[in-house]
Amino acid sequence: MAEKFMYTVSPHLHEKGQTIERGMADVLIALTPAAIMAIIVFGFQAFYVMLVSCIVAALSELIMRAILRRPHSLRDMSAMVTGILFAFLLPPTTPLWVVAIGAFLAVAVAKELFGGLGKNVFNPALFGRVALMISPLALYTTKFVKPFFWRATGFFTPVQTVINNAVSGRVVYQGLGGKLYVNTVTNATPLSLLKSGRMLVSTVTGPTPVGATWLVSNGRPSFWSMVLGFKSGSLGEVSILALLIGAAFLLYRRTIDWRIPVGIFAAFIFIMLVTWNHPLYQLLGGGIWLGAFFMATDWTTSPMTRRGKWIYGLGIGLFIALIRLVSPLPEGVAISILLWNVGTLVIDRYIAEPKFGEVKKPWFNKVPIYAEPAPVPKPVEEKA
Amino acid sequence: MAKTRYKSFKGGIHPPYNKQLASSKAIEQAPVPAEVTIPLNQHIGAPNSPLVSVGDRVSVGQKIGETEAFVSAPVFSSVAGVVKAIEDIPNFTGAKVKSVVITTDANQPKWEPKPGKSVDELSADDIKAIAKNAGLVGMGGAAFPTHVKLSPPKDKPVDVVIINACECEPFLTCDHRLMLERPADLVAGLKLFMKGVGAERGVIGIEANKMDAVEKVRSAASSEPNIEVEILEVKYPEGSEKQLISAVTGRKVPPGKLPAEVGCLVQNVGTAIAMHEAASTGKPLYERVLTVTGQGIKNPSNFLAKIGTPVAALIEAAGGTTDGPVKLIMGGPMTGFAQEEPIANVVKGSSGVLVLTDELVDIREEHGCVRCTKCVEACPMYLMPNYIVEAVQKEDWAKAELWGTMDCFECGCCSYTCPAYIPHVQYVRKAKAEIAALKKR
Repeated sequence: MAEKFMYTVSPHLHEKGQTIERGMADVLIALTPAAIMAIIVFGFQAFYVMLVSCIVAALSELIMRAILRRPHSLRDMSAMVTGILFAFLLPPTTPLWVVAIGAFLAVAVAKELFGGLGKNVFNPALFGRVALMISPLALYTTKFVKPFFWRATGFFTPVQTVINNAVSGRVVYQGLGGKLYVNTVTNATPLSLLKSGRMLVSTVTGPTPVGATWLVSNGRPSFWSMVLGFKSGSLGEVSILALLIGAAFLLYRRTIDWRIPVGIFAAFIFIMLVTWNHPLYQLLGGGIWLGAFFMATDWTTSPMTRRGKWIYGLGIGLFIALIRLVSPLPEGVAISILLWNVGTLVIDRYIAEPKFGEVKKPWFNKVPIYAEPAPVPKPVEEKA
Repeated sequence: MAKTRYKSFKGGIHPPYNKQLASSKAIEQAPVPAEVTIPLNQHIGAPNSPLVSVGDRVSVGQKIGETEAFVSAPVFSSVAGVVKAIEDIPNFTGAKVKSVVITTDANQPKWEPKPGKSVDELSADDIKAIAKNAGLVGMGGAAFPTHVKLSPPKDKPVDVVIINACECEPFLTCDHRLMLERPADLVAGLKLFMKGVGAERGVIGIEANKMDAVEKVRSAASSEPNIEVEILEVKYPEGSEKQLISAVTGRKVPPGKLPAEVGCLVQNVGTAIAMHEAASTGKPLYERVLTVTGQGIKNPSNFLAKIGTPVAALIEAAGGTTDGPVKLIMGGPMTGFAQEEPIANVVKGSSGVLVLTDELVDIREEHGCVRCTKCVEACPMYLMPNYIVEAVQKEDWAKAELWGTMDCFECGCCSYTCPAYIPHVQYVRKAKAEIAALKKR
């Protein structure tokens, strides 16, 4: 018999495979279908963006943690997740140096400066994305290419946005050896078509076209091409089908909470319906699927309480709808989630979670106050 | 295929049960050790004073410790022998408790049953007196004196008595074996409890992984119209008092209140059988059934062991340990107490002795909370374990209480499922002590 046994506090068992690394690996696995679709639709350029984003994210974490004297934490793979998610938010032809700046901001500022995994207030990937959007580099990240543009440029050719003031729209795409593709591949995303009133109900709800027009009907993406991802948009957001496969996996693994996406879609569809907008357009374009399943459900930046999750989800859905309907801003999903990341701090502080058997279920937290310690009586000095 | 849905509660976890190690082993009488160490305090409540002194001869079932206080239970000698010492000895939690050390005689006389009475001849007060005189306590682990439980406040009548036969703790099989081998005694014990509190309805709640026990108990209770057997979902902590009441009756005990608040009384299988023995034969609680199991035990067994038996003797009786035992635990793997050395002794509340190997011991460095909400989802009390931890780290006791420290019963679901390997239970215990001290002021 062993002389000494290990002494620890109960419980003495731990759930198998329930580790931070496994949770992050789950997210990476769930993102794989969307990544594959991105490479199919946008060529190897999509892969270059993801690669640079991941490498810079990992390096930023390594360097920041060294500067901040924290043990390195590459093993938990959270930098990889941030890297991939950040790449997913970018237009496929974003110049790689812009990708690097954004990935650095995401990991170094939004995550490590806040205290590392678990302490960050903002979703790092979204923070990086919005930081680029409001920076002088915005123009690089707000123009989108056509799906399958690689048929003109070559599958493996890196194609990047460059700014040329001589051209209308100021954006051209540059391939290898400085070869320019002027405007031939620029495209409007479904949402920008919507905002400018160029997309009609019939394009998405009409009968599916056959043959060559299956992908595009009257110059606009059809319902199925929007679901499969044959449309303009950010890298990872285009294929709704691929994102749904990943989301189903995450929900099955219980890595993400179902309340948040359900809340987002419920509020979003409700607002669209009461404002007499067709929710289908709005759902099929833009990043709401990526946002609802992969960004808003981020462990660290979403509320902990069940009630809080509902409030958070419904709030994000409401904000996305309002931004889409009222504001000319792009990236409504990113901005909504970032705002509610801050809201999470408030929700978690003030919204109560009813305990088991609590009869009156209070809505707000009431911090108990203990009685002040009784004043110690001063020793009476006896006078001699 | 449609899966049968059994009654349950919200939250909880599904740990690896490993019940197969010992569930087929019939209960055996453990060998009487050369020396027993009987702590005078084996229950929650007032401490007992010794009734014997060093050098005294004691017989089996002789009362050796008692106190006047209501919330207490007397302690009996489990062997015939001579008192060798009365001194402070660490018990299974590591706390030093005044204990009576008895050197056992070579020949142990058998317990002589005294003529008892049947349920119909006893009044409610008789039953409470029997429970008190036999030193009965909750044998699931908490060891709360049974007669106190049988005396709920006058304005809170109890209408349902529930027998906790879930045995939701992984590995343990002693209640399972008791149900298989002594179902009639269990039903008789339940009837005594029902009469003791004047309840009309009795329910025996059994988890669905013990269908053989369900059959046995059902047939034993077939002639009792007021007693039903409820099959419950296999989930931890199904056998926690409040969760069991909620699963069986749908009633929810409010925070900080006792089961009598919703008209319920919960008793363990072992306690019910001990109650029946005490009423029918006058036998006090000096021995109990417990499971000696785990991957680290050569021959996992269920033993009827004398109170005060050293753990080392039980492990020996179960064939000793296999290669590479890592952890020794008194109780179940979720709530039990780890032991550094096999020096603890069996008490009334000991339900098992567990030796784990590397296979299931998974200990890592604690990472900061990543707010994944797994603990919140798992908590059967709907508390916020991660915020309790955060408050304890900041020594903010008011916040710790706000997030539910005082409602935590330390089931360990949060730590079990935590990807960051945070030992929530450890933090909660600290917070409980600090809050209790603050409230006393």
